[in-house]
Amino acid sequence: MSSSERLSRAQQKFKILASTKNGDELAAVLPLNSEYTNLVLGDMLKEDGGWDALREPLSRGLWNEVTVEHFRAAIACRRGDFVEACARQLATYHAFLRAFRHMERWSINGLLVLCRDLCSVAQRADALLAGDGQGGKVEEATRAINQGFSLCMTDREPDLAKSRKWGTYRVANILFRLYRRLGAHNLCDSMIRAIKASELPELDAFPMSDQVTFRFYRGMLAFRSESYAQAKDDLLFALAHCHRDAYANKIRILTYLTPVLMAEGAMPQSRLMRRYPPVKALYGELAKAARAGNLRRFDELLAEKEQQLVAAGAFLAAERVRRIATRELLRKLYLIGGSASRVPFQTLRDGFVAAGLADTTVPEIEAILADTIYGGYVKGYLAHDHGVAVLSKQEPFPPLRSLVQGS
Amino acid sequence: MPAAALAVAPATAGTEPEWPDSLKGFVQRSFAACSDKARHRLEKQLRQIIASASSNGKINSLDWDNRPLPKACDLAPGLTKAWDLAPGLPAGAPPTKRNSTSAGIPDDTDAFDSEERKERRLRRFQREAEEEAARKAADSRSQVVVPPTPGAGDVFNWDADTIVGTCAKLEKSYLRLTSAPDPSLVRPLPVLRQTLDLLKRRWVEERNYTYVCDQFKSLRQDLTVQRITNSFTVDVYEMHARIALETGDFGEFNQCQSQLKHLYALGLPGHAMEFLAYRLLYFLYTRNKGDVNAALAAMSRDEKQDPAVAHALQVRSAMATGNYHRLFALYLVTPNMGGYLIDKFADRERCLALRKMCKAFRPRLSVAAISAALAFDDPPACAKFLAGLGIAVSDDAQPSVDMKLAYPQAIAAMQKYDKVDIKGQMY
Repeated sequence: MSSSERLSRAQQKFKILASTKNGDELAAVLPLNSEYTNLVLGDMLKEDGGWDALREPLSRGLWNEVTVEHFRAAIACRRGDFVEACARQLATYHAFLRAFRHMERWSINGLLVLCRDLCSVAQRADALLAGDGQGGKVEEATRAINQGFSLCMTDREPDLAKSRKWGTYRVANILFRLYRRLGAHNLCDSMIRAIKASELPELDAFPMSDQVTFRFYRGMLAFRSESYAQAKDDLLFALAHCHRDAYANKIRILTYLTPVLMAEGAMPQSRLMRRYPPVKALYGELAKAARAGNLRRFDELLAEKEQQLVAAGAFLAAERVRRIATRELLRKLYLIGGSASRVPFQTLRDGFVAAGLADTTVPEIEAILADTIYGGYVKGYLAHDHGVAVLSKQEPFPPLRSLVQGS
Repeated sequence: MPAAALAVAPATAGTEPEWPDSLKGFVQRSFAACSDKARHRLEKQLRQIIASASSNGKINSLDWDNRPLPKACDLAPGLTKAWDLAPGLPAGAPPTKRNSTSAGIPDDTDAFDSEERKERRLRRFQREAEEEAARKAADSRSQVVVPPTPGAGDVFNWDADTIVGTCAKLEKSYLRLTSAPDPSLVRPLPVLRQTLDLLKRRWVEERNYTYVCDQFKSLRQDLTVQRITNSFTVDVYEMHARIALETGDFGEFNQCQSQLKHLYALGLPGHAMEFLAYRLLYFLYTRNKGDVNAALAAMSRDEKQDPAVAHALQVRSAMATGNYHRLFALYLVTPNMGGYLIDKFADRERCLALRKMCKAFRPRLSVAAISAALAFDDPPACAKFLAGLGIAVSDDAQPSVDMKLAYPQAIAAMQKYDKVDIKGQMY
């Protein structure tokens, strides 16, 4: 069989899969290293004397393009020429999109498979180009995938069961990963807004894996913009419903969730930290210092771990936990003073100095107290002229749980 | 006809450009010497040449017959390296890639029309055309200063579009550029140095910010247009930034400090640490947490240890941990000119602190105590601030405030600031 015959056979196959709406098999043959692709290429090499047929210019026809570009991309991959592979895969993808507009829910897996391959060759291409100070392939890929995303989200198919809308969150999650890698958080935000404004079915109607991934990213973005209540809500859900075996994902969730909970007074349990050493490495000692009211140690640790925390984007969140540490120190000093409701500023100041915060002054103590009273951590008032803090007789230090604001 | 296709948009409305025959001939020759694929570029270049000649009023006086053809003409042999002479371009500019034999004794055995002969003729015409253009440019309002080619380190990204100015007037008002700059209005580096000295003196003597800012903007423009990027550029931006800071013009300050960031990154000497500290304080003023985080991430250990930067970092930390006492204590000892930056958000932080104080202190607090806590110059200044918020102060020897009553006003005062912050931070 000549290679051009083999090619047109392949093209026929794609066409038939499309017309019979065989989504599963389409998704099985479209990957760059699918069995079918390898088989065809292997046969072409062995029996037809090479891949020359693929060098010929394309004849018109949608599936022609998809077929030929797909095989060209696969060949380029084998050669290690990922820049070429990326260009070819983009061509395959765009050609596929032209058909996708008219296809239904069954074709979503095919799209996803192409997206995944596109991501991976784009990243490899950028790695190769980085040596020359070039790049931008991943950006190109995101623009292309965004088109696929729109096609899913804005599908007008009246029958919901057949609608492409069911693919929206899958593609969105792919985009989240890419945008995050590029640092384009504003694009993530606009995507979330677009989804909110669209007429998609409710998130909980989608498969759980879609929900977990999406809520993880939405939680992470809320965390970054310091909307901690929203972040907590999404991240808790993601953690609770994350697949039991998805260890790395759980660590990712916990990296953001932990400081949010710590700032509410909920320190991570030792069992959790045993199971997830990276979380322990980052927050374990901070939690201990905060719970013990060891402000000096807390500040030390914050400085020590600053680099790692900033890299994880969690420094500002971890800093918030300091109020818990302050509250604990004040509570200890109160208890040491015999739980007297009138506590002189000077006493507290001496206590702070003894705890290692050497340059504390009385005015600073007043400011610290004002801050803690304002935050609700301490119930009472300050009598400046008498130099005394007058704490509530009932519950001078309300339980931290009661301070948590609902989302 | 190609010339008709050019339809140069005249600078004045409505009048048809009247071209002398020599110009028409020039245009025709250009098109004849141009291949099809370069035609588009040629049109652009011709448009530029003609527009600049007409805006200088020289369209009739330039010697179009002997003018070398524009660069886009790639067909005629021997004229392939013709220069597009913008007036004012120094003769020594863009080095040629010729591998011709050195200018010297004509070889009699060459044919009259050989490439070499053509090139030599071309060079002679170039020189003559230049001299004429220079003579014509001399009757603009400034004297012609022979523009020196700037030193190798002064110009970044030299290309054929970089110009060297010829204007010798020290002062120049700022005008936003809407077209290619006229070199006779652009001041070269030596003149600009004198201008900076002048501005320094004028600022100290007169303190007229409007004038000085205007002059600085045109100074910066001249630097940009000539692509001068050296330690002088840094000096200019630093000085303008400091003056803007002192006056409270944060718009200009921000422009300067972001430009300085680029300049320092190029390795140019300057007060990088001083301005890094300013940048941090500026982010604290705008409450842009993303920028703060990014700046933190990018900082090296050495940078963090610089006294000015360390101070700014401590200010950040005091604000993040709600320690207004430390914040105001740091405010009082801000190094360099950072105090002007903190001035801009001091009142906001004072409102914040006051809100906390109103919740915590009972029953009354003396104005003196509030003044000390919030780092006012003196109790009267504090009283004025409180009055501005609508907070009642008692009318006796030791004025004081009923903290419980003042609480709603303190909250209302913060709303003015909270609106600015879109993200709804919880303080």
